[in-house]
Amino acid sequence: MKRKPDDPGDSASLNDLSFILIIFFIAIAGFNVNKGFLMTLPNRERPRIVQTEDLLKCSIDASGTYSVDGKSMGKEGLEEAIKDKRLNHPNMTFLLLIDPETPYQAVVDVIQAVRAQKVENFSFRMEAAGA
Amino acid sequence: MINLKRSKKPPLIPMSSMSDIGFLLLIFIMLISLINQRHEVKIDYSEAKVLERTQEPENLEIWVERNGRISVDGKVVALDDLEQLIAGTLAYQPSARVHVIADRNTPYRHVNAIVGILQTLQHRVVSFVVREEL
Repeated sequence: MKRKPDDPGDSASLNDLSFILIIFFIAIAGFNVNKGFLMTLPNRERPRIVQTEDLLKCSIDASGTYSVDGKSMGKEGLEEAIKDKRLNHPNMTFLLLIDPETPYQAVVDVIQAVRAQKVENFSFRMEAAGA
Repeated sequence: MINLKRSKKPPLIPMSSMSDIGFLLLIFIMLISLINQRHEVKIDYSEAKVLERTQEPENLEIWVERNGRISVDGKVVALDDLEQLIAGTLAYQPSARVHVIADRNTPYRHVNAIVGILQTLQHRVVSFVVREEL
């Protein structure tokens, strides 16, 4: 049987290879996108005046335990507390007091809970060491 | 009478140029991904389920490791120098977004030091970068 000579112009496999590499690099380029929470930092010079009944004060200790109005609770309890407060006070302000040794993830968890409940007024600050 | 002969050869689309186009595209995308590269610091990312995209065309990424070591563009920066660096970047690129990318176990005081600098500089918007929880 006579064999057909290889066509020098036949570069189908090269096309496949180049397009696979293109897809790979497009995927790699898409990895460098930062996602997270956009925070508006409290103004030091002009503190906001908030009505005490609209305020929900939460503090996190060094072990990452939340405490709302002096009552210790977990992540789910915190979400419920925000939900309840928002039902009665739609313009509520959430104030977060953070212990200096609190792990960053615990702070992120609170921010997430606040964002999930669509609380617009959110403020946070670190408590003085030993406070 | 004109004798029109139809060629018996099937029509052929030249595919050799396709690989040229493919490789040109490849070089272009490789260059783009090289421009977009960033100096990653090995950290254990914080995670959250609800996220928003905080990336801007101009960004300043501040990495905070578990031990509080701060680095920008792959270089370790002291807290005193960080203020100058942020001020310089914001003076040159006022619309630059400041990102804080901290390890999940970093004590908050290290992050607060950066927040304090931003407050001093009257730059009131900051992105806390986290990874999507799977």
